[in-house]
Amino acid sequence: MIPLPSLSAAMRVWRRDLRVFSKIWRGALLPLFFDPLFYLVALGFGLGTYLATINGVPYREFIAPGLCGSAVMWAASFEVAWNAYFKMEESRLYDSVLATPVEVEDLVLGEVLWAGTRAVIYGTTFLVVIMLFGLVQSWWAIAMPPFLLLGGLCFATIGLAYTSLIPKMDYFTFYFTLFITPMFLFGGIFFPYDRLPDWAQVVAWFTPLYHLVAIARDLATSPDALTVTANAGWLAAVTLVAFAVPVRAMRRRLVA
Amino acid sequence: MSALAVRARALSKAYDGRIAVDGVDFDVRAGECFGFLGPNGAGKTTTMKMIYGLAAIGAGTLEVLGRDVARQRRAVKARLGVVPQDDNLDRELTVRENLVVQASYFGLTGREAETGARAALSFAGLQDRAGARIQELSGGMRRRLLIARALVNRPELVVLDEPTTGLDPQARRSAWATLERLRAQGVTLLLTTHYMEEAARLCDRLVIMDFGRIVAEGSPAELTARYRQPHLEAVFLHLTGHGLDGDGRARIEALGGPS
Repeated sequence: MIPLPSLSAAMRVWRRDLRVFSKIWRGALLPLFFDPLFYLVALGFGLGTYLATINGVPYREFIAPGLCGSAVMWAASFEVAWNAYFKMEESRLYDSVLATPVEVEDLVLGEVLWAGTRAVIYGTTFLVVIMLFGLVQSWWAIAMPPFLLLGGLCFATIGLAYTSLIPKMDYFTFYFTLFITPMFLFGGIFFPYDRLPDWAQVVAWFTPLYHLVAIARDLATSPDALTVTANAGWLAAVTLVAFAVPVRAMRRRLVA
Repeated sequence: MSALAVRARALSKAYDGRIAVDGVDFDVRAGECFGFLGPNGAGKTTTMKMIYGLAAIGAGTLEVLGRDVARQRRAVKARLGVVPQDDNLDRELTVRENLVVQASYFGLTGREAETGARAALSFAGLQDRAGARIQELSGGMRRRLLIARALVNRPELVVLDEPTTGLDPQARRSAWATLERLRAQGVTLLLTTHYMEEAARLCDRLVIMDFGRIVAEGSPAELTARYRQPHLEAVFLHLTGHGLDGDGRARIEALGGPS
């Protein structure tokens, strides 16, 4: 068992990250807002004009909610990859934080909460964009941000677990090439899962993006409470179980 | 007798089977400046890290400000200030923001954090650079900022791990003056250093460590008298200069050390 984190100590870490984000988002992070928009325009409004509907939904409306999920995934993953590694091993900022009453479990929770926050900012911004484009059929879509946050927390926890275990930054290539990018391509954003082979559907079920995209698409079209709850439960369970990994690994690494 | 700020008994630590600190005992009295001298790898930094919570205690007991570090680490850290060996300032933030954010880690917010930051900046003579980015500061200013950062929570004990390493003589003297003011205010200082002049000037008492063990303890004057050496550097080399070649031995002798 790991010690329970202190929420107030974690929020101190979160506030530092928010302060930094508020200073640099225009310069360094604004381009990330455009990423899903380019995919929507290229695939939804470009390729989509050549495609028939999918499950009765026009292609651009099919991919738009899924891109909210991918915006969340990329934002959370970037935050806990190079940013966190830099603070852990290069600038040694985590050492200075851990010399205060903040403990490792608080630090991990603070970083995960911040990455989730950043993810929900990106995901919700894109949600507003697709609503303005008229690509959302149900008003239930406005209930999406809490689920985007949950997805962000899940990606952040998994990503921070990976960051806390790797010996050097070069290993992020494996994470993004072999885990994040395949999820983006095969996670159900661009085509329905039921067209995949059986084994691929099983693999997809074990990835967080599958569940986040399912929630986003459900809320944007015709939500089914049971399905949404089941997918959200999957994300919450994985987040809670995976949380111990970065806590243990960082404790070994920083407070050995 | 003064109250103890630190009490270590049979304190030990090993990394992957390699012993870093080997059963050391020492007491630090409240309000004194206590030094740790020793060659690289002697166990000074590991001992410091156990005190401020960046290294788990391997064996033995360690009490800081009356609390058991192994059990009450968070409570102990709340009353400490730490000046690390390496510059780990937050490069995304300005000088003032570094202090305000540091204060927030101790639960100080709003006006309380701003006041603490202003006082620490003024103490370190950096009030003119409050809005500067870290990259704009000289090495000496960064060191003074690290000291200022350690003061924002008004600590009872400040741990300084080689606080003046790499500084030019002027910057070093400026840092010493800052530390002397701190000591004059009754703050307990724990200091590791490679500079004998620094130890002799600042420390009321000190220990010399070698291979994870304490090989001598006392005030600078007591140590020079006990080992019949002209100054602290000669004592240090007398006790830890076992790896020196013939030239090194000759240099010790030239300093008035053992033949």
